[in-house]
Amino acid sequence: MNVILIGILALFGVGFYGLLITRNLIKIVIVLQILVKGAVLALVFAGKMGGNLGLGQSTAATVIVADTIVAVVGLALAVQVRRRFGTLDVPKISTLKG
Amino acid sequence: MAGILTLLVIGIPWLGAVLVLLVGDKHPRWQHALAVGFSLLSGIDALLLMRFISSASSVDLWLSTAFGSLTLIPDGLAVSLTAIATVVGSLAVLFSVDYMRGEKQLGRYYFLVLFFIGAMAGLVLSGNLLFTFFFWEITALCSYGLISFHNDDPLAVRGGIKALLITQVGGVGLLAGALMGYSQLGSFQIIELLARANTLPAPTLAFIAFAFLIAAAAKSAQFPFHTWLPDAMEAPTPISALIHAATMVNAGIYLLARCSPAFESVPYWRESVLAVGMISALLTAFMALTATDLKRALAYSTVSQLGYMVYAIGAGGIVASQFHLLSHAVFKALLFLSAGAVIHAVGTRDMRRMGALGNTMPFVRNAFIVGALALTGLPIFNGFWSKEYILEVGLESSPLWMYLLMLLAAGLTAFYTFRMTWLVFFGSVRDSLHVHETGTAMKIALGLLAFGTFTTWLLFGGLSAQLAESLPQHGLHTESTWHLVEALLSAPSTWVALLVVAASLMLFYIVGRRAALTAPPAWFNALSESSFGFELLNRWVVSGMISLAERLRLTQSGELNWNILGILACLLTVLAVLWWSAS
Repeated sequence: MNVILIGILALFGVGFYGLLITRNLIKIVIVLQILVKGAVLALVFAGKMGGNLGLGQSTAATVIVADTIVAVVGLALAVQVRRRFGTLDVPKISTLKG
Repeated sequence: MAGILTLLVIGIPWLGAVLVLLVGDKHPRWQHALAVGFSLLSGIDALLLMRFISSASSVDLWLSTAFGSLTLIPDGLAVSLTAIATVVGSLAVLFSVDYMRGEKQLGRYYFLVLFFIGAMAGLVLSGNLLFTFFFWEITALCSYGLISFHNDDPLAVRGGIKALLITQVGGVGLLAGALMGYSQLGSFQIIELLARANTLPAPTLAFIAFAFLIAAAAKSAQFPFHTWLPDAMEAPTPISALIHAATMVNAGIYLLARCSPAFESVPYWRESVLAVGMISALLTAFMALTATDLKRALAYSTVSQLGYMVYAIGAGGIVASQFHLLSHAVFKALLFLSAGAVIHAVGTRDMRRMGALGNTMPFVRNAFIVGALALTGLPIFNGFWSKEYILEVGLESSPLWMYLLMLLAAGLTAFYTFRMTWLVFFGSVRDSLHVHETGTAMKIALGLLAFGTFTTWLLFGGLSAQLAESLPQHGLHTESTWHLVEALLSAPSTWVALLVVAASLMLFYIVGRRAALTAPPAWFNALSESSFGFELLNRWVVSGMISLAERLRLTQSGELNWNILGILACLLTVLAVLWWSAS
């Protein structure tokens, strides 16, 4: 049990740490994936602990599908951004002034 | 039936607001027609609602444990204010058809006006303090949007922000009071607060009472928050008539009148209310003496008359304050709309440049004079009966020196009103101004309001009966119109007040006409322009808020990594709180 909990926390930790320090758009998509994998694991784990494994697994499956779409769209955007701005550095492509 | 009507009186203007926006600015004729149609419908709806007045809630919608239930209570206080808001609102919209002709962004204008009318009805009908607060904030937002309607004019933008920020102080007061009540009573219902006020600990009740007094003073532009209203005069004139004379500024009076039975036992509360009303009435009457801007002079007199209403509530005269509120809404809307017709015609607000306009605009002159006589408080007009009634109540149950000062304010009112009328419509031509025709829609609106100024005092008996029957916790008595007339005409204080007014007019006739055009002494001018020093306080509130906002803007860097850090910090805080409350 504890192994899974540590796994979840480790995935969250890596994900958040990555989001905090990365500026590259593709790396952001990757760490986002890691973060969501932690969330999926947490869902299954919560289902098991709550005695309703089926619910946890089905929610996890839904999240996996949605998350895949996010990754695909995110990568497609990254390709477009690279073509248009010639860089993947997020602060550099920011055009909003405030 | 009553439930449907109460929902409709909020829903009709809001539906109209959305439709006006959807029609788009390319069809101004449709926008005018829709706005007039929907505001008239809501006015008719409010008048129909008069027949269903009761102290029971007509709509009772359970929402959640946190919000309680949304109740709409069509009692006498709420319905009379709803009727004022919607009827004066529809006349102001009708007036706008001529006044705003050719403006580019009519959709935004009518949207905000109609949204405001609905929110004002909601504010007074709501029996749940939390929803009163929501509607209160919507009215503040609409008022801001309309003051700054000409958003390329820096003065208008500054006036709007000042009004928004200072009325926010009131909003915070209302919310703090409501939450304090909730923490003790477990309910936001005003009825609960009134019924169980005696069971509250004294400090809690005092906190609620003074928080509501601050809310009312900020919303109704009373001392020491009285400086936002004159700056709000950058709004288009129908807005000044509707929001800043007849409706929104009455929300504070409404709040005090609604909750006053609960706070009567709070030490110094009534004295504070009396003092706030008296100081506002007197200070702004002095300030109106030197004003050269027609609309600012009217704004000062609005604050002054609102001061009379606050004073009446402090003296325990709920009916008197509501009666004066009704009279004031009608005659001040008339004065503002006449002033709007003048400003629309000559294109300036500076009274020193006007003069002898009565010859070229006889209809507007007559309408303005009717309003001015009512403001002065001369017999037959509605302002006379209500102001004398307030003074009568004040003589009975406030210290004598306060009564005498209010009498002085009445004299000053007569003086500045005649100064204003004389500067605009009489005397000699001082500047070659090109005068436009007054439109038909303007004339209809002015004519109806002038008729109201002659007649609304006849409604006193009905108003008093409605209030007495539907507000059991206020302990009011029904009085007939005839009884009021008899009582006032036989009271010596009425004749004293009339004598003061006459003396003031005499003084104006002898010295004022010449003095009106010469600049007042520099020290007096400086004093009145700085609102007797309180302008500084208000400016401090506004500039403090703006600089705080500037500092907070640093946190909005738009950088992804910083935002993630913020999200993480919030998440950890929530987790820590949950952990701490669980253990």
